[in-house]
Amino acid sequence: MKENKKILVIDDDPDFQEAVTSILKSADYEVVTASNPEEGKEKIFSEKPNLILLDIMMDSLFDGFSLCHTIKTSKEFKEFNDTPIIFVSAVKEQTGSRFQFDGDEEGMVGPDDYIDKPVKADKLLVTIEKFINK
Amino acid sequence: MSERKPLVLIIDDEEPIRNACSFIVKGMNCDTALAGDGEQGLKMIKEMKPDISIIDLKLPQMDGFEVLEKSTALFPNMVAIVITGYATVDHAVEAMKRGAFDFIPKPFTPEELRVIIKRGLDRRSLLLERETLRREKKLLEENFITIVSHQLKSPIAAIVQYFEVILTGAAGEISKETLDIITKAKIRAESLLNMVNDWLDLSRMNHQQMGEDIKSVPLGKLLEKQVGFLESLAGKEGISLILEPYTGSDVVQGNETFLDQLFYNLISNAITYNKPHGSVTISLKTEKDGVFVSVSDTGIGIPSEHLPLIFEQFYRVRHKTKKSKGTGLGLSIAKKIVDSHHGRIDVESKEGKGSTFTVFLPKTFHKTT
Ligand SMILES: Nc1ncnc2c1ncn2[C@@H]1O[C@H](COP(=O)(O)OP(=O)(O)OP(=O)(O)O)[C@@H](O)[C@H]1O
Ligand SMILES: [Mg+2]
Repeated sequence: MKENKKILVIDDDPDFQEAVTSILKSADYEVVTASNPEEGKEKIFSEKPNLILLDIMMDSLFDGFSLCHTIKTSKEFKEFNDTPIIFVSAVKEQTGSRFQFDGDEEGMVGPDDYIDKPVKADKLLVTIEKFINK
Repeated sequence: MSERKPLVLIIDDEEPIRNACSFIVKGMNCDTALAGDGEQGLKMIKEMKPDISIIDLKLPQMDGFEVLEKSTALFPNMVAIVITGYATVDHAVEAMKRGAFDFIPKPFTPEELRVIIKRGLDRRSLLLERETLRREKKLLEENFITIVSHQLKSPIAAIVQYFEVILTGAAGEISKETLDIITKAKIRAESLLNMVNDWLDLSRMNHQQMGEDIKSVPLGKLLEKQVGFLESLAGKEGISLILEPYTGSDVVQGNETFLDQLFYNLISNAITYNKPHGSVTISLKTEKDGVFVSVSDTGIGIPSEHLPLIFEQFYRVRHKTKKSKGTGLGLSIAKKIVDSHHGRIDVESKEGKGSTFTVFLPKTFHKTT
């Protein structure tokens, strides 16, 4: 049997985690979750996910941005620099509105894609399939 | 994260004193760096950003006072301790005035130095803590509305997300009746979410200085991006979005986030109040002092008696053919944004035929004083 692809959901809202997990599992993905950036980092190493869904605002304002940058660029995460990351955020995507980000916003490496929260099941699955084929 | 040892920089022209100080300080679980003159000392302060600097006041070339003054101006959170050569109180007082935290007269015993370093380290952690708090407070202030909006939206988003799980069948089979009810509940929750979004957009605009973050914005690219975002919404109704080719410069000065929002509101209206398989045409025209953008649709139009009112907050037209599900804030937000850029927004419409919203944005941004 072929191994299922693994998705890591990093989000501090347990309800959101649960809901998204159900959607992903119904599409035959294996799902692991983390509730904060630290746990997220640990899970990346231990679980080696094929793709990461990442919330932007967790404990502190810009967790998602900096975590994304770290995963994409740091030596520590060398093995995972190419792992696709999708931002999932209640900050309106359509208007492209962004946070005010104290100065060093420039030069931050962003995600591979964005989706709005709440996520539409079909949009979520289509977006994921852009990056990993089952 | 590994805790870094505190770094103490010692600036003194006498090598034996430098070395002795360094030896004592290292014994206190600190790292040290040494400089033999003022110029070198200042350079090292800039490069290494020490936690504490011990500065001999009497130095060749650039004297200790100058080093003290320059470095505390650059790094107010650095703790500076001066060594006074002769037991003159004057020098010490002068040094304190210029930003030194404390002074130690020569000659001094190791114990005397240790006591002063210890106090310096305490002072340093206090300063750093204060700095962190100050920064956090600033971040919170700047992003107050973002935070509130996050708090307000998260629960609604979670509710909608659960409905979505039920509706996709991921939680198991449900009856047709339940499905209908959940669908209705989800629509209401979604419109609540939209309303909160609109409200927050509006308050963001009242609070945040519209004149902030002004830069050159290429409108063509911005419109392309919005068309990209909105394509799926349009696709559902079979509506085509057309961005016409343009010539000339499309660049205006403005706040990109707000301009994004402006055109999002106009284009999404043109889709929402369209007819099935209609179209939305966006065109861009360059004039001498600015750029015209028009968003034209083949939709239901707006009866002329309503036209003067549609830019008012919460105003919605009761269309015969289409019930508006919006809040009635989109156009008032659009108008606010245009006004803040000292532009103009106009509308032409024929009931049953379609509407054209035209925006003029001046090339240069004039800050309101
Ligand atoms: N392109 C259009 N064609 C026809 N009617 C329009 C068009 N744009 C706006 N309107 C009318 O003007 C009203 C006000 O629009 P506005 O965008 O301010 O609010 P809304 O779309 O109802 O809600 P929202 O705040 O969600 O945008 C709408 O309710 C609609 O009746
Ligand atoms: Mg609208």
